[in-house]
Order: sequence, then structure tokens, then C-alpha cells
Amino acid sequence: MAGVIEGYLAALRRELDFDPPLARRMADEIEAHLRDAAEADPAWPSSEAERRSVARFGLAREIAGQFAADAVNRQARRTWIALLATVAVTFVAMRLRVIWLGDAGDSLSVLAPLVDRYAFIAALCVAAIGWFAFRRSLLPLAICLAALAASIAAGILRADLLVEAAPLHVLLTAAGEIALIGLLSFHVIGLGRRLRRTAMLRRAG
Amino acid sequence: MEAEMLKGHLDAIVLAALEAGPAHGYAIIEAIKSRSESTFDLPEGTVYPALHRLEQAGLLASNWTTPTGGRKRRVYSLTKGGASALAERRKAWSRFSQAVDTLLKGGRAWPA
Repeated sequence: MAGVIEGYLAALRRELDFDPPLARRMADEIEAHLRDAAEADPAWPSSEAERRSVARFGLAREIAGQFAADAVNRQARRTWIALLATVAVTFVAMRLRVIWLGDAGDSLSVLAPLVDRYAFIAALCVAAIGWFAFRRSLLPLAICLAALAASIAAGILRADLLVEAAPLHVLLTAAGEIALIGLLSFHVIGLGRRLRRTAMLRRAG
Repeated sequence: MEAEMLKGHLDAIVLAALEAGPAHGYAIIEAIKSRSESTFDLPEGTVYPALHRLEQAGLLASNWTTPTGGRKRRVYSLTKGGASALAERRKAWSRFSQAVDTLLKGGRAWPA
């Protein structure tokens, strides 16, 4: 039969499943703590000493909730950095396309240039508001992601990069913005998952 | 009430507990309990998210050690940045506590 400490560590690993390396590390570290605490309580039989050490340690869900809240802060910081990089590369790619199209001309209707430009401006405005007022919130980042994706897609269609033989620097910056929008999506999804997990642990705690 | 007050200052308290030298989580908690004369009675596990947060911020470093015949433990130590952060927090706390102390003691009349 599993002991009290083993049961507690299994519960902690489950609650920390949003970050498996952290779950493994904490289980090892906290096991040493709980065994030290149980051994420092020799007045009690070992199972009772283990139960007392676990009780003093606190609920696994509450401890995991604190880790989850810290994980949200770290993930939000990573997501904002990815957003900043995406905005910068998208801006450069837009400028290079415009310079190149100055010679070649737009291959699509008036709609694509409008989406390319105004979706980018919308992303900038939402990012500025989000940075100052809602830095840990998912919504401004998700809106920026959608607006930047629309701007990039319109830019690529506008320049007809999939068909036309564009210069290498135009193609490279377009590849860069596609890679960065993928990275930004990954971070936005990660932030959403961590926020949901934190909220769940708070409700249950 | 003490537990809630402690939560807001836990990072600084952990940094201060490590000022004397490297220690593992259990020893840090014992040091906090002993130095506060058991005034603060938080769940012991609360210290681990703080240790992890401080390590992520570069204020602490850690490594696994296994003493001869002993148990494997992760030992934390202050980094140079951690020592500076502790000095900063000490100054900030000193200013804050003096101000609150002055207000609570009511030495001077409040402006009308």
C-alpha cells in the first residue's frame, strides 16, 4: 500500500501536469522535505509522522496554484516578447514588399492592401492598450495575433509571393513573419492553457 | 493575519534566510520559523513556489547535493543579483515600516 507521502507526491504531480519537468523536479525536492519533516517528529509512529508532515506542508492543489500563477506571469512575458518580434519583422516585411511592389504593382484588388495596412495598425493599437492595461490578459494578445495573421496573409496575397518570383530578401522576411506568427500562436495558446489551469486551481482551492 | 502579511513579503524573507549561506527548502523553513519565533505559520509548501520564482528571476541558484549517507536535496544559494535585491528590499522595508510605525503610533496630529 502506498504511504501518505507517496500519495501526496502523486497528487502534486497530477496538479502540476501543466509543466511536467517542474512536476518531476518538485516531486523529488518535496519528497526530501516531507521525509526530513517526518523524521524530525519522532514522538509519533511513522505513518502518523508522515501524515503530520503532509498536513503542515499544505494542500497539493494550493501549492500547484501558486506555481500556476507564476507560470502565467512567465508565459505572458514570453508571449509579449514574441508579439514584439512579430510586429517588428512584419513591419520590415511590409516595407520591403511595398518597395518591391512599387516596381511590380499590386497583383490583387484594393482589398488586400487595405487589410495589410489597417490590420497591422489595429494590431499595434491593441498591443499598446494591452501592454499598458491588460498585460496578463489573453484577449488583447489573441486580437493582435488575429490582426497580424490577417495582415501577413493579405501582404503575401497582395504581392502574389506564392506565384511571382520575388527577390530573396522579400521572400526571407515573409518566411520570417510566417515563422513568428506560428511562434506567437504557440505562446498565445500556451498562455490560454495556463490561465485556464490557474482559474481551475483557484476555484477548487 | 500574520500569514497574509507574510505572503506579501515571502520573497524577501526567503532571500534573507539564505543570506547566512546555502540551504535546502526544509532548512529554510526551519530558519524562518525559528527567526520569527514561530510568529509566521504558513503552510511549509508555500516556500517552494517562492524558491522557484526567485531562481527563475536569477536571484537564487540551486543544485542537487547528496551528503554521505544522507538524502538527495536541492540546495539554494543567493546569487550576486539576489544579494543586491535583498539589500534593496531591506531599504524599501525600512522606509515603509518606519512610515507605518509613525502613523500607527499617532505621534503627530493628522492634518484637518
